[in-house]
Amino acid sequence: MGDALGSDLISDLPQSIVESILVRLPIRDAVKTSILSSKWRYKWASITQLVFDEKCVDSCSDRDVVEKSVVKFITRLLFLHQGPIHKFQITISYLQSCPEIDQWILFLSRNDIKELVLELGEGEFFRIPSCLFNCKKLSRLELFRCELDPPLSFKGFLCLRSLNLHQVLISPDAIEGLISNCPLLESLSLSYFDSLALSIRAPNLKYLYLEGEFRDICLDDTPLLVEISVAMYMTDDIAEHFEQSASCNFLKFLGGVPNLERLVGHIYFTKYLSIGNDPGCLPIIYKNLEIIELNQVSFEDMKEILVVLRLITSSPNLKELQISGSSNIPSATDAPDLDFWEKECSSKCRLSHLRVVQLTDMCGVPHEMELIKFLLASSPVLETMSIIPCVYVVESQLKMLTELVKFRRASAKAEIVFVRE
Amino acid sequence: MSEIDMAVSKPEIMQPYIWLQTPDGAIQQVEQVIAMFCPFICQEVIQKGTGSSKNCAICLPQRVTPTILSLILDYCRFHQVPGRSNKERKSYDEKFMRMDTKQLCELTSAADSLQLKPLVDLTSRTLARVIEGKSPEEIRGIFNLPDDLTEEEKLEPLKNTTADPRIRLLNRLYAKKRKELKERERLKNVEVEEEHVDDRSVDDLLSFINGNDADPKEMKNSKNKKKNRRRKEQQMSSSLKEASELNNKEINGHNIRPQTDGANGVSEASQSNTEDSTFVPREFDDGDIDEEIDPALQEKLDREVEDFARILNSDWPERMQELLSLGQERKAMPFTSNGNSFLRRNA
Repeated sequence: MGDALGSDLISDLPQSIVESILVRLPIRDAVKTSILSSKWRYKWASITQLVFDEKCVDSCSDRDVVEKSVVKFITRLLFLHQGPIHKFQITISYLQSCPEIDQWILFLSRNDIKELVLELGEGEFFRIPSCLFNCKKLSRLELFRCELDPPLSFKGFLCLRSLNLHQVLISPDAIEGLISNCPLLESLSLSYFDSLALSIRAPNLKYLYLEGEFRDICLDDTPLLVEISVAMYMTDDIAEHFEQSASCNFLKFLGGVPNLERLVGHIYFTKYLSIGNDPGCLPIIYKNLEIIELNQVSFEDMKEILVVLRLITSSPNLKELQISGSSNIPSATDAPDLDFWEKECSSKCRLSHLRVVQLTDMCGVPHEMELIKFLLASSPVLETMSIIPCVYVVESQLKMLTELVKFRRASAKAEIVFVRE
Repeated sequence: MSEIDMAVSKPEIMQPYIWLQTPDGAIQQVEQVIAMFCPFICQEVIQKGTGSSKNCAICLPQRVTPTILSLILDYCRFHQVPGRSNKERKSYDEKFMRMDTKQLCELTSAADSLQLKPLVDLTSRTLARVIEGKSPEEIRGIFNLPDDLTEEEKLEPLKNTTADPRIRLLNRLYAKKRKELKERERLKNVEVEEEHVDDRSVDDLLSFINGNDADPKEMKNSKNKKKNRRRKEQQMSSSLKEASELNNKEINGHNIRPQTDGANGVSEASQSNTEDSTFVPREFDDGDIDEEIDPALQEKLDREVEDFARILNSDWPERMQELLSLGQERKAMPFTSNGNSFLRRNA
């Protein structure tokens, strides 16, 4: 029944292409295609990816009304849907925990769900029903503000590759169990847990992202780790706990990751690594470590500086280094143990691949200057070193510059960029 | 087989050109590096060994016309060069996608048949952008879609394909009833009578609950009407409903009868009958819908009802004797039923 101008261009394309198009539309537009023509009435109903966001229903000023209409929309849609659902994502900040969500998850567990992302509003945490643990094909799970309680008989998600828990209430045993029972786990992200002591055993793990207060992290069996990013907050009692511990955190954390390619640390991470006995010359060489980024390093703490140094000297193929300081405005200009630099850094040490260095929040404390001196002297292929001084130390900047100029450079190409605001 | 092995056994593979044949029969040669970017062509060359000469050119799928083929080859020519940056590729893709919708659809189809996934993704994204945010009329205009859904279908919520047939029947009956009611407005007497009957049913139910206070004669009259209605009502509902209702009656009847003592035996039994009739869904009380039922079906249902009644009736003589022997005073309850006395008048 096409008009004289042309025949139907699109309705007879294979279902895989139609799905490919519908999946790239916002869910509302996809469902609206059902009134285009008789052939299109149910084409949307078999798409395998359902993504719901803030825009899937009309907004209105009354939050309750919008919430109810979203719940109705999703429930109706699931009723009309046919076929497997591989991806189901809800990212709606005004949707609070409600009983319908349990029903949706039950429905999904019967329809081969593979990727589930649940990001609800800021209210009461949603308690994940036990039917989630029957989803045998689950390969990606992301939960925000939920309560997770795996049943005792739970043997793990055998296909799970990516796990992201953000502000999730779950017992430490359950987390450890969950991680170690998912043999294919490649990517793990845990954020905003309180005082978690965790031992991670995941032989296939490649990407690790941690953020929150961690009392103790031990990477027991993670030989394939490639990327680590940790933002560690610390409360007073955790700090106390640290003072008393004698084990070497550095080795506990970084002792078993020889394939590491990228390491990022924020806030108290370097401090965490510095706790415990000095590992001395490291037993491990990070052959593949090319990017190191350590933020909020305190250059007045010898142990932290030592951590930085050990990392740098154990990474022969390091290409990019970013360090930001967290020193308070220095009270004294001379610092103890300046000769440690001569002891620890032999002139033999060469960072033969280091090309880019960025140092931020530099206050000009002696140890910072020594680090810069060391880096300049040991990097024969250095191209750029950017130094961004801390905004509060305007007076010392000139002093820093004067010292900088004196340092020997191993690389003829090295450019020092001193960024002043 | 490694490429080197193949080169030894089939030297033609190393030629720089591949021969392709489009559905219109035309044959052209294309640089190998470019053509092999398409998985389909790659497969044909490696698995079947075609494409090496004009005589054994690779037959391209139906949807790959010469114009579309040249577009696809342009795409392959650009992207097979390894050194390009992501930015370059993206900007090329953007320019490449500037074509009319018809060609875009044809291109999607052809790329899909050649298994060129990056191009399929690109065209799908572009088509999605074309559709997004537009009204249905606009979309129909762009793609020449026929506007062949009825207004009702557009407005109704989408129905589930597995609709219950009983619900469908009910819907039909409701629709017809609505029609009938409109006609009834002209015939006021009948309407009044129906309302009267409705009240009766409520009265009966109340009297059953409150004890045997209602005038038996009135009950008898109402029962006559109700009997007829009930019969018709039974015919209307599906056989399942009918069976369950009759079962209900039987159970009710049997349950109530042993519990009553003789004085009220019959009357209460009769009331159970009444009550049964009030269990029938209200909407069917009008009893006018049965006219729409297929007469053959109606007869069949009549017969079934009669049979069932006979079965129940056969119990009655003994039961009545029992109750009579127990009882003191009995009220005469004359009943007429549908040809057979369901409950006989007792002297």
